[in-house]
Amino acid sequence: MSAGYIDELHEAFHSDLVYRSEEIPLECSPKPKEMEQTLHGVMKLNGLVIRSLEEIAGRGANAVTYRAGKKFGHEVAKYFQKREDVEGALHELSDLLRGQYSFEVWKPEDKETFIIEENGETFIYLVFHDCIVRQTLRRNGLDQGGPLCQTLFGYVVGAIEEITGRKAKLEIVHTGPNACLKKLVLK
Amino acid sequence: MEIHVDKDACVGCGLCVKDCPMHVYELQDNVSVAVRPNNCMGCLSCHEICPAQALEHRGIYAARRHYIDINVCEMLRKVV
Ligand code: SF4
Ligand code: SF4
Repeated sequence: MSAGYIDELHEAFHSDLVYRSEEIPLECSPKPKEMEQTLHGVMKLNGLVIRSLEEIAGRGANAVTYRAGKKFGHEVAKYFQKREDVEGALHELSDLLRGQYSFEVWKPEDKETFIIEENGETFIYLVFHDCIVRQTLRRNGLDQGGPLCQTLFGYVVGAIEEITGRKAKLEIVHTGPNACLKKLVLK
Repeated sequence: MEIHVDKDACVGCGLCVKDCPMHVYELQDNVSVAVRPNNCMGCLSCHEICPAQALEHRGIYAARRHYIDINVCEMLRKVV
C-alpha cells in the first residue's frame, strides 16, 4: 500500500469540526438519499444471516426467530400503556412499529365487523403495508413467510400480549409484493 | 378500490383468478373480470403474476419500496 493512499485516507477522515459532547443529535446524517448504500448493506446482511440460519437450523429457524421476536416484543411493549380493548392495543402497536411497519385493520366485504368470530375463534385481519422485512427479503431474492417474517410475527404477538395481557397468535394468510394479510387470533 | 382489466391485453390464462387470495377475479368468456373489487386488500400479487400486464388498481396504497437499487435503475433508464 502506498504512502499516498494512506495520506488520502487520513485526509478523507480529517475535519475541522468541533464536536461537543453535550450536543444531542436531532436528525440522521447524511441525508436518506446518501444512505442508500448503507440501507442496502443492512438489508444484504440481514438476508445473509437469515439464509445461513435456514441452512444450519432448517425448519427450526422459524422457531428460533419467532421466539426472539416475541421476547423483544414483550420487552419493548413493557413501556407502553396497558390496554384491555383490542382497538386501543392496536393503536399502541402501530405507535410501536411506526416508521418501519404500517398496518390497517381490514375485513372482507361479507363480514360485518372487524372482530370476526368463526369456528370458535376470535380474530382480526391485519393488512401490513410498509414492511422492512418484505423489502429485505425481496432485496435478497428470498421467499416471504420464512424466518425473518417470523421475527416480525413474534414481535407483534409479544407486543400485543404485553399490552392486552391476553394470549395471541398471528397467522400468515397471504404475502404479496405490496401488502401481506395476517390474521391476529385472540385467545 | 377500482380494478381495471385491459380486455385486449388479457390472454385468459386465469393466473390472477387462482392467485388472488380474496377471489376478486373470475374468468368470463376467457377474460378476467374483477367481480369483487371491494375484497381487494392491495397485495398486488396479481400484478406480479399476470404475464400480460393487463391489470390496473386505482386508489391503492403503494408500500414504501427500499429494495430497488437506484444506481442500477438510473443506469438502466439511460439505455432502455
Ligand atoms: S391486489 Fe391482491 S387482493 Fe387485490 S386483486 Fe390483486 S391479488 Fe387480489
Ligand atoms: S393473469 Fe392477466 S392475462 Fe391472465 S387472466 Fe389474469 S388478467 Fe388475464
